Amino acid sequence: MLYIHIPFCQTKCFYCAFNSFQGQTHLKDAYLQALIKQFQHTSKPHKFESIFIGGGTPSLMDISWYNQLFEVIYDYIDDKTEITIEANPNSADYEWIKQIRQLGVNRISFGVQSFNEEKLKFLGRSHSRKDAIRAISNAHKFFDNVNIDLMYSVAIDTKDLLKSDVLLANKLGVNHISAYSLTIEQSSRFNHTHKKDDEEEEIWMIKLLNSFLKQYEISNFGRICKHNLGYWQLKNYIGLGAGAVGFKNNKRFYPHKNIQKYINNPLFAHIEKLDHQDLLYEKVLLGLRSVAGFEWEILPKHAQEKTQELIKEGKLILKKGRVYSTDFLLADAISVYIL
Amino acid sequence: MQEKIRNFSIIAHIDHGKSTLADRLIQECGAVSDRELEAQMLDSMDIEKERGITIKAQSVRLEYNGHILNLIDTPGHVDFSYEVSKSLKSSEGALLVVDASQGVEAQTIANVYLALDNDLEIIPVINKIDLPSADVDRVANEIEETIGIDASGAILVSAKTGEGIKELLDAIVERVPAPQGNPNAPTKALIYDSWFDNYLGALALVRVFDGEIKKGQEILVMGTGKTHKVNELYYPHPKRKLPTNAIKTGEIGVVVLGLKNVADIRVGDTITDAKNPASEPADEFEEVKSFVFAGIYPIETDKFDDLRDALDKLKLNDSSITYEPETSKALGFGFRVGFLGMLHMEVVKERLEREFGLELIATAPSVTYKVITTDGEEIEVSNPSELPDVSKIEKILEPYVKATILVPDEFVGNIITFLNEKRGIQKKMDYVGDRVLLEYEIPMNEIVTDFYDKLKSTTKGYASFDYEMIGYKEGDLVKMDIRVAGEVVDALSIIVDKNKAEKKGRELIKVMKELIPRQLFEVAIQASVGNKIIARETVKALRKDVTAKCYGGDISRKRKLLEKQKQGKKRMKSIGKVNIPQEAFLSVLKID
Repeated sequence: MLYIHIPFCQTKCFYCAFNSFQGQTHLKDAYLQALIKQFQHTSKPHKFESIFIGGGTPSLMDISWYNQLFEVIYDYIDDKTEITIEANPNSADYEWIKQIRQLGVNRISFGVQSFNEEKLKFLGRSHSRKDAIRAISNAHKFFDNVNIDLMYSVAIDTKDLLKSDVLLANKLGVNHISAYSLTIEQSSRFNHTHKKDDEEEEIWMIKLLNSFLKQYEISNFGRICKHNLGYWQLKNYIGLGAGAVGFKNNKRFYPHKNIQKYINNPLFAHIEKLDHQDLLYEKVLLGLRSVAGFEWEILPKHAQEKTQELIKEGKLILKKGRVYSTDFLLADAISVYIL
Repeated sequence: MQEKIRNFSIIAHIDHGKSTLADRLIQECGAVSDRELEAQMLDSMDIEKERGITIKAQSVRLEYNGHILNLIDTPGHVDFSYEVSKSLKSSEGALLVVDASQGVEAQTIANVYLALDNDLEIIPVINKIDLPSADVDRVANEIEETIGIDASGAILVSAKTGEGIKELLDAIVERVPAPQGNPNAPTKALIYDSWFDNYLGALALVRVFDGEIKKGQEILVMGTGKTHKVNELYYPHPKRKLPTNAIKTGEIGVVVLGLKNVADIRVGDTITDAKNPASEPADEFEEVKSFVFAGIYPIETDKFDDLRDALDKLKLNDSSITYEPETSKALGFGFRVGFLGMLHMEVVKERLEREFGLELIATAPSVTYKVITTDGEEIEVSNPSELPDVSKIEKILEPYVKATILVPDEFVGNIITFLNEKRGIQKKMDYVGDRVLLEYEIPMNEIVTDFYDKLKSTTKGYASFDYEMIGYKEGDLVKMDIRVAGEVVDALSIIVDKNKAEKKGRELIKVMKELIPRQLFEVAIQASVGNKIIARETVKALRKDVTAKCYGGDISRKRKLLEKQKQGKKRMKSIGKVNIPQEAFLSVLKID
């Protein structure tokens, strides 16, 4: 698996704590060269199972930029490779969508967040309801797999607002929704007053989404994204770019976050080594929040006993040597309980 | 030389400025250099300095105008009155310190009675005269009226500014009698304190009544029958060791015998000469008695041995604690520890945690009940979960205290209502100026919860309070159990007045409901007496406990959060499937 990070944005959304920067697009060519250099110096599988180009705002980069990027990765993809790109409804126009598909990208993901104008302003999004609808319609002309991101638990949310967003998404025919409960990050402009704490409404929202598209992870609904599932199965992946993260052989790799620093030295990575216990924790917590599940065998004895208890209570299922959760919403509590 | 010695204690109600006065006397006598000066010099424990209280009595030898003044600072809090009585045994005089604006308080009275019992010369000292609210005449009047001692010779001081300190020192020299005792008689010295020093081992602080103790002397500790050699001798000093070759008749000093165990020099025992022993020991004091008992358990169950070591070591410095191992179904292996009172319990728990790096859970404090069984047997119960089955109980006796309360008359109505709720029986009510002196008999189990805090809040902080044990009376008592998810949690059982059981039960589980976090399962909390459920609350099951995003870069962060949560869970106790935070075990203190 390969992740490519595009850390450029036109504006920074109020809730955002991702590694993304405004007013740095003059660095995009140097950045491209750094990406290519890092890619060339990283050992790669024969073919990638999936590629995910995320951001930031990948749709800020034009097609010629992607032409150069894809030149070096073409050898590592085939027609089974799932290739996703994230896009902003206002920067991804008809031509860009058409040409990015022609490059081989087969899944597109729009950061819609909402179709409600007031909420879009509240979140600091630069696109409008109209932009979002147009982008999705354009995408459907070329892509079978269209995802949108939606956000809930925002201070101004109401059930009516959320319901109309979900219904419109359904009407527009997207086959995947990533729906996130707003998380207040310290490095973002938002604070807790921007968040709505309403457990009942959150659960209601998840049920609503689930009635249209099947939930396969706490925040993901619809046709399973292979790349995402790969994360939760702790598969190896290369993380390309400033602030990307890679994972290989129980090590996590963190290149520079700062764009200039990354350009200066794209081969640098801080390495985090995971021990047996760390891996166990991650397998359990990731497995329980998604359909991935985890192997019964990895559990130490006391954890197996605890797991048995929860199987009896119907909160977990044991199937063909793997443990699965019946309620992703309790993933954290269950992880703490059994470990 | 002997006629130049003055041994005196300082007694007062808490916060009336004893320790500050001691600082000032030490300073005035030049016993410490200016560089060494610090506040509360005699309070050497961190916990004493932080809380501004004295827990252990300390001594210091001072020199003034050719006289030796041995000053013995004492604790003011009622829990530590045992320390006060030890100090008074070694003194001929006592400075009775009274705050010039607060006036006489409950502990002033209690301490004066102790001093009078010991035939001490009492010098009234009215302190804090620099305060704008100081009212010397009123306070002098109160001393005469409530305590019945002549206040015409009271010395007026401000320990803060130093005013009157010289006069006070002169008064000590003039009025405190020199120690009696025969310097030629066989050695007779009372051990009035002992503690453990990491370098010197067990140390005894003694008052020599007859003869002297010399370096190299073979001495006999009369209570143990063991003989030891005197390695070193010191005069007590807050900052350094002042070595000496002999501690003479009437003097106070520290004896180093090179012992590892403080039990060999028990407080109250007598040191005499091994070859020429005294015919009888010095006056003993009453054995210290624990009033309040609580289970103390390590949060991590494998720390039981560490807790035992810590208690053994703490006992070297605080001989007033008692402890024996006990087992709780809920909490595992721990100790039932006896304390002198609630503050003492808090201090001991804190010292165990701080000085020995332990994390502990304390159960609700209990008093000792006497149970007469249907077989006519009498058993003592200080752990409520050990109360025999109702069918085997003939009657239960509970300890009572005589409580002395001084309160401004405007609060008298509130206080009487409060004391009635606490099952108090009025014995006396006297007006002292615009204040009222109340004497009540109250069941001790009403006092070991948050009695003192409630008393203070009922009177805007004006009431002062002291108590002493007076014996046992029959009570109409039942054991109330708390069940979590159907299981009785033994560490939460309490013994309560039958008429109050239902109300207390309801309040208690309401507090617990707030303290127990939502978990994967619904948790029922019930209060029961016998098999009868008297109240019930439910902690609803968790419905959502998961974070939204978790991709490549989030995973490590997420794992670390989980590990943190896991650590937090370790600090809780699991009862069956339910995790109970440690505060829940003390929730009984939060109810009326």
